Amino acid sequence: MMATDKAAIFAVTFTVACAALYTVCTELNLPLLTYHPVIGEIDLLWTPERSGPAMYWYGWMLSALVGAAALAFIASLAPEAWVQRAIAFASVAAAAYLVAYSLSLVVYDKATIELEILKSRWPSLIAAVAIAALAVACMPEAWHRRLWPGWAWLVPAGALTVLGYYLVPYFTR
Amino acid sequence: MVLWTTLLVIHSLLAVALLGAITHQAVALWWPVRAPSGSFVTRYRAVPSASYVWAVIVLYVVTFVMGAWIYTHYRYTARLALEQLRFFKVVGSFELKEHVATIGLILLPAYWAAWRNPRSADEAAARRQMTLALALVVWANFLIGHVVNNARGFGS
Repeated sequence: MMATDKAAIFAVTFTVACAALYTVCTELNLPLLTYHPVIGEIDLLWTPERSGPAMYWYGWMLSALVGAAALAFIASLAPEAWVQRAIAFASVAAAAYLVAYSLSLVVYDKATIELEILKSRWPSLIAAVAIAALAVACMPEAWHRRLWPGWAWLVPAGALTVLGYYLVPYFTR
Repeated sequence: MVLWTTLLVIHSLLAVALLGAITHQAVALWWPVRAPSGSFVTRYRAVPSASYVWAVIVLYVVTFVMGAWIYTHYRYTARLALEQLRFFKVVGSFELKEHVATIGLILLPAYWAAWRNPRSADEAAARRQMTLALALVVWANFLIGHVVNNARGFGS
């Protein structure tokens, strides 16, 4: 992709950042607004139910959109090689986190003793960051010289897997 | 009720159009025609895939906006009934559809970027991957939506 193609850099960075931020906003419940469909009112940030259920989905999307737009804007000003490096890092980190946390949960389930630390996200997150840093450092120079949008689907796919995992209780009740 | 049912039908029709467009594009991209032939399958594969990009983007956005609008009504009518009936798998499927649809929307900018230069050989792999990812999202959402809608049935 052309180094001068700022629109493409913005678009690819937006996709990667928005997928990651949407997952974070959903799991930590960080909506920019709350919609109350029964009374048709909108509140800023998170608010509890009022006269019926509250909807946070629009707020999560808006939070992710604002954050991703800011990151994409910064990326469009940064050197292309840095952006590609950051996207490669985020993609590998997302995949590594997914594998590490899934393995942790499997080990937690199978272990005969209580290993509470395996339920925490932090060890998996630290391991994922370390793996991603190592992978990006070892990548051939040519891989992160130019921005390549082919990486971009990896983070949304990882995000969807994590979001899907948190819905498992609906299917096991 | 008539308004919501009408919107749901339009949403479904738009989804069918989107499904057709993205499937056509993905097939043409992943299974290109090497030699011309008169068969239906070959003609199906021989379409110029670049011409579908804006149709896919516009159809996705319009279908998404319509779905997000209908969702407000679903949230305080159908969903409450499904929860009372303990149809948790259906509720969970709809939650999944909500996330899959959002991820599809998020994929659109990168999909567009991959198709910026449709003749560029350097980005051919990126185009194939982004198109396939979006096609899988659209298919998943279509199937989930179809199954979930059948839980209570049209007009129930």
